Amino acid sequence: MNAAATAHPPRPAAAARQQMRAQVAFVLYLLAAAAGITLPLVGGPLAVDLMLRTGSVIILAISWNLAANAGLISLGHSTFWGLGSYTALLIANRLGLPFVTSLIPAAAIGALVGSGLAVITGRLRGIYFAVATLALSEGLRVVSVMLPDLTGGSAGLYIDQALRPAPRLVAVATTMCAVMTALVAHLLSRTPFHYACRAMRNNEHASQMLGVNPLRFRIAVLALSGGIASLAGGINIWYTGFLDPDIGFDLHITILAQIGPILGGIHSLAGPIIGGMATIVISELSRIWLGEQGYSLLVYGVILVVSIMFMPHGIYGSLRRLAARRPRRPVPVRAREVAS
Amino acid sequence: MSSFLQCLIDSVLLGGLYSLMAVGLSLGFGVTRIINFAYGEFIMLGAYGAFFCSTLAGIDPLISLPLVMTGVAGVSGVIFELCLRRMLRAPAINQILLLFGTGLVLQNLAAILWTGDARSVSTPYSLTAEELGDLYIPDGRVIAFLVAAVLIALLLWWLRRTEFGRATRAVAQNRDAAVLMGINVTVVYLISFAMNAALGAATGAIASFLLTVTPFMGFHMLVKSFAIVVLGGLGSIAGTLAGAFVLATAETVVAYYVPDGIGWAEGVAFVVLLGVLIVRPRGIIGQAVEIA
Repeated sequence: MNAAATAHPPRPAAAARQQMRAQVAFVLYLLAAAAGITLPLVGGPLAVDLMLRTGSVIILAISWNLAANAGLISLGHSTFWGLGSYTALLIANRLGLPFVTSLIPAAAIGALVGSGLAVITGRLRGIYFAVATLALSEGLRVVSVMLPDLTGGSAGLYIDQALRPAPRLVAVATTMCAVMTALVAHLLSRTPFHYACRAMRNNEHASQMLGVNPLRFRIAVLALSGGIASLAGGINIWYTGFLDPDIGFDLHITILAQIGPILGGIHSLAGPIIGGMATIVISELSRIWLGEQGYSLLVYGVILVVSIMFMPHGIYGSLRRLAARRPRRPVPVRAREVAS
Repeated sequence: MSSFLQCLIDSVLLGGLYSLMAVGLSLGFGVTRIINFAYGEFIMLGAYGAFFCSTLAGIDPLISLPLVMTGVAGVSGVIFELCLRRMLRAPAINQILLLFGTGLVLQNLAAILWTGDARSVSTPYSLTAEELGDLYIPDGRVIAFLVAAVLIALLLWWLRRTEFGRATRAVAQNRDAAVLMGINVTVVYLISFAMNAALGAATGAIASFLLTVTPFMGFHMLVKSFAIVVLGGLGSIAGTLAGAFVLATAETVVAYYVPDGIGWAEGVAFVVLLGVLIVRPRGIIGQAVEIA
């Protein structure tokens, strides 16, 4: 599963290699972060749009992966996204709050609903949890259609144009948020919190024996995951400017959230980031080669099926495995024969 | 009083359709222990099958029903052989995501091949109705109810009276013991998966003259089927039938008696689903199923 879970303490050479790998990863991360923040500032509208979508997908992927790390597979991440979008939009339109301020309640509502979901689904595991999240997002979609006084109903709502910041700024905010999210996920991965989550995922009863209180961790994980996803939704609405129930609680968002980690490598730090970028690249390529918007979901479906069947550890896992298989230095012929 | 009776009749007729819809999902889960997230797409394929039989060849949906069921069962067989067969022992989550992806592919293939336009089949009985005093009984719904009843009766007969049906129930009860009795579990899985698809297709074929047919109709049907199956208890056919009538009644009552009820009725399934999952995950009748 996770490479950090090797049973033996690493040998000195391996430790040095690991350290080097960590440094390389850190440099790559910094480069990606710098590129993500500067590109929308200097590039044209196309670059802005691209970075915005990449950032959003990465945030969603990391958020989904955080929940998946604790064994909570969500099939309703559009719940958080939609709630965040609606909150930001309504706060802006009703109270006249500007961009940045509106994001605080947007993230808060996601965290609140996430922890609420953790409490009410208390005993639900695996499939049941997945089905519950699916029902929640569809249920919220129906509610937002049926409460036109609040949400504008199926006709939708426009955000107050006077308050809208330049698209550039929204894109920068998105990529900064993606960078911060990755940082949070990284810092978390070194805390006991992460190990408790992993223990819960592998065997909840055993983790209870070790003194982990699953409910507390579920609440914390879903609050964090939900808060992050709805923050992304809240930022995004300032870019698109228009919201209706089918956009807010779109199944597309749920799929985007899960496809990044699965394609990139579930339960890893780099996986969701790689997968998120790969998702955007693939969707762009499919748009160029196949035209039409309708194909992107078809392509996502194929990716989902193919990665689960042939690449259960994703791109990142496959890369690691390739790296591990390649001999580091020339091995004497005789030794190689014996080894194989 | 007559409004109450009308509500009751509508509930029962809708319940028939829902029973057929959910029994397929329930059968598939009961035997393979895999929730078929692509089930809605089999319903959609059935609906399109009936639609094309009707528009291209002029065959009535009721006559093309066996053909449509066989065709969709064939498609599901291919999916089983290509994807699911090697995932039978994989973690439940991977199976869910795999079928979710398969459904996405089918849905969007349909959207590309047949466009996203809403269609429906017009039959001589689509728009006619019987009137008994104040009561209004649409013929199409009565026919749908009868077809569902016949198909469910056939399914129960198959499960109880034939050798293969008994083998299927044995696998559902205890896979390992069934293997020891010399039952080829993979074949049983394949047949159950194909039958679950065929029942879905039958639902779609009936729905083609009651509702509108679109490439994305399956998702709502899937969630409703979930709600019914979870309400009745995963893996229990009797529970599923009970769940179907409970959901149909709840939806009809909301549509009749709540202001703006027709819109809210769409949300009943989700409320039921969430509520049951929280209060009593095993449902009305189902056995306790522990799924990690």
